[in-house]
Amino acid sequence: MGRMSRAALLPPVLLGLVILLLAQMVGLALETLLGLPIPGVVLGLVLIVVLGLLRPTRAVVRLADPAATPLLQHLQLLFVPPGVGIVLELQNLAENALPIALAVGGSFVLTLIVAGLLLQALLRRQDRRRSAADGPAPGDAETGEATV
Amino acid sequence: MSALYELPVFGLSLTLATYLCSLWLYQRLGRPGLLSPVLVTVIGVAAVLQLTGMPYDLYMQQVALLTLLLGPATVALALPLLRNGHALASSAPAVVATLVVGGAVSISVTVGAMVALGADDAMLRAALPRSVTSPVGLSIADALGASVPMAVVLTLISGVLGAVVGPALLSLVRVRDERARGFAVGMTSHGIGTSRVLGESTVSGGWSSAAMVLNALVMTVTLPAVAQLVA
Repeated sequence: MGRMSRAALLPPVLLGLVILLLAQMVGLALETLLGLPIPGVVLGLVLIVVLGLLRPTRAVVRLADPAATPLLQHLQLLFVPPGVGIVLELQNLAENALPIALAVGGSFVLTLIVAGLLLQALLRRQDRRRSAADGPAPGDAETGEATV
Repeated sequence: MSALYELPVFGLSLTLATYLCSLWLYQRLGRPGLLSPVLVTVIGVAAVLQLTGMPYDLYMQQVALLTLLLGPATVALALPLLRNGHALASSAPAVVATLVVGGAVSISVTVGAMVALGADDAMLRAALPRSVTSPVGLSIADALGASVPMAVVLTLISGVLGAVVGPALLSLVRVRDERARGFAVGMTSHGIGTSRVLGESTVSGGWSSAAMVLNALVMTVTLPAVAQLVA
């Protein structure tokens, strides 16, 4: 309690940003020190997930929220600069237009349909089995939970 | 012209102003998927660079602030996963099976189409992370030695495809379950698709954003091995 109220005096967005930056730093350090093939930022992401799942550290993750929310809301703005780099590769893009269109379009359509149909079938089977096992349909309870 | 773009604040003002205009346009026209603000901004800024002859390196120097924020923003993706994760945890076997099968389909079609049509290795490597949310896709592309801008643009196209035709395509093949619809869109078209299905239902949006992050984690581990095998 005391710790939380003291933290509340700090500017929330900056505090959140520092938590995210520290997690990224730990991730980057792990990547270099252990020579892992996984990018450090992704390790930082996993670190926050682990901290959020463990009861004693859950509060730290909640403090990251005021910075995380605006960052994620405008996440797309952040990849405008790398995207603009395409001006250097317009030629390359035009030369490979057909394979790109087929690879991107084809894998998008097939993956979308396969993933959608498969998950729907598996979830239906699971819901049916659960409602057979115990009276009230748990499928509804789950849906309610997801809305939170 | 060069006097203008050599001002240190030119790049950032151009990017932010173009983004605001695209957002305004997007909202004004009733949020059409094709006019995804990020796509419009990329095209707008790229056009200005082409017209003024501003070197890309100089532009990147001026927008270093945005590049720097990409790191913490990527780490922040943990929060939507934590928020929506428990709904998926109770269906873990179904979720894992879908991630594995969907991932295998995505990779084999991409590799198959690229190899069959004779695209070069560099292009193949840039196309591999196309279903992964851009911040993570960027670092994957970097690790694969692929062109980062190419990977980003292909990812954007994937996202826009998902927002424009994804929901209709799923209805066509009779995927009606909100959870499955969200998951399929999140897995194939990451953030841009997620914001589209979020308008459909909060359940779909939650499943979509969790699928986006889970898919990014799976692909981070898988793609380097795939790239070594095929390229």
